[in-house]
Amino acid sequence: MTDLIIETSQLTKSFKDKHALRGLDLRVPTGSIFGFLGRNGAGKTTTIKTLMGLLHSDSGSAQVFGIPVADADRAIQIRRRIGFVTEDKELYPYMTVGQIIAFTRPFFPKWRADLERRYLDMFELPPKQRIPCLSKGMRSKLMLLLAICRGADLLILDEPTDGLDPAAIEDVLRELVAIAASSEVTMFFSSHQLSEVDRIADHIGIIDRGKMIVTGSLDDLKANYQRLQIVLGDSAQPPTRWPEGVESVRQEGRVVSLLASHNADAIAAEAHSIPGATVEQFPVTLKEIFLEHVRSN
Amino acid sequence: MLWYKGWLETRFRLLFVLGMTAFLLSLQRSIHINTVPSPHAGAAVLSATKRANEIILGSITFAEAIPLIMVCAMLAGAGIATQPSFQASKGVHGSSLFTCSLPASRLRLLTVRATVGWLESMLVIVFLCTGSWFLSPLLSTVTTPLAMAQYAATLIACGSMLYCLSVLLATFLDDQWRTWGTMLAAGAMYWISHHASLPAAIDVVQAVGKGSPIIAHTVPWSAMAFAVVLAAAFFFAALKVVQSREY
Repeated sequence: MTDLIIETSQLTKSFKDKHALRGLDLRVPTGSIFGFLGRNGAGKTTTIKTLMGLLHSDSGSAQVFGIPVADADRAIQIRRRIGFVTEDKELYPYMTVGQIIAFTRPFFPKWRADLERRYLDMFELPPKQRIPCLSKGMRSKLMLLLAICRGADLLILDEPTDGLDPAAIEDVLRELVAIAASSEVTMFFSSHQLSEVDRIADHIGIIDRGKMIVTGSLDDLKANYQRLQIVLGDSAQPPTRWPEGVESVRQEGRVVSLLASHNADAIAAEAHSIPGATVEQFPVTLKEIFLEHVRSN
Repeated sequence: MLWYKGWLETRFRLLFVLGMTAFLLSLQRSIHINTVPSPHAGAAVLSATKRANEIILGSITFAEAIPLIMVCAMLAGAGIATQPSFQASKGVHGSSLFTCSLPASRLRLLTVRATVGWLESMLVIVFLCTGSWFLSPLLSTVTTPLAMAQYAATLIACGSMLYCLSVLLATFLDDQWRTWGTMLAAGAMYWISHHASLPAAIDVVQAVGKGSPIIAHTVPWSAMAFAVVLAAAFFFAALKVVQSREY
């Protein structure tokens, strides 16, 4: 059984009449880089805030490091081991870069002074600069520094590259991968940028309307998911029922396109049994998996 | 380091309040400078002067309530509701998310922040009382240093009630609304004190005014105790709000 660093079960959360989470089951393996995907309003930030104890769930359970997040006293132990980047990247406007680092450092016994120096230099963050004078991109970099230098076992990053220019995104992604590889840090990050997730994540979860609709190892998903394109013969009709594993069927004229989440070979065999049909199998990208699921959900 | 954060948050507000207090003190000096009776004055003059002095002392206590309200309104809430103006109700919480992600309990966050503001408020009260003592010839003539110290203690106890009320308001109101709310509460307390004939034992406005040690020459212990109990209740309520609050 895989060791889980984050585990939620049937987590629900509503805001007045809006259901943000509807029985969310999330399992993040220890040591993974977990990309948390979803449309705007799908429930990503609500999930992250619930894990951080900023929101209280209505029902269900959530544990981080095996500690229930609802236990306010023990949740302090959780936060001591987490590096967190908030979605809006807001920091204290009355502090300078140096002051906020000096303020944050004592809360974390495993603070990485070496990384602090490295990222101050790499991100070109002037210690005497006041925070309101920083651009959004610079604030994002400062938040990343404050999260990474905590010496945390788990980094929870809500849209970490939001506001960064392409060169900075490249730097940040490379650093995140390096950190995950070198220090056994688990990384749980939400993003709209599928290409970023595809590049660095080894596990993904796709949330839609407050429910997890796809989750697993990215390699497994890519290995199992396949698109089948079937060109039908002149008078042939596709079967009304396909074998298990077909997620969606789209037909345009004589061309039928199937997305299979698993069991692709059996589905292909079924397709081959249609008289006069030609069948081709293609690997699918994360983007295709994402779009197919959120459209059909 | 939460103390450091609290200090950085409030230092300019504290300087502003100290500046305003110094300004009020300078006005106090210019008003009261000629109110000390001549030792050779007749009985009628002394009686008239005594009456005038009572009015002036009343005005001093009233004037000293202004910085007290100002300090409560300005120093109590900053940093407890660290969100941009008028944004909390729209779901924008500013740097509160960062603060709440730190490994510190909400009890600790609130206590440290409220204590920083309270200590600063007490500094302003001590500055106010010391300044009044040295700048107002009347005070040093008709009261003693002990009475002035007792008056400062009364201001601290009664001011703590208003301060903790402001802390409570800060837990669910934006900064601007909290400031207005604190001033409104102070106005309401003044109105109730003058129109509802409260027992002196629970009349905190009278305790810092007519019933204060520099006018009544007694320490309003019961009103002070009542104010401290209310302050504790407001702080406890604020803690409950903060602990249950979602961001």
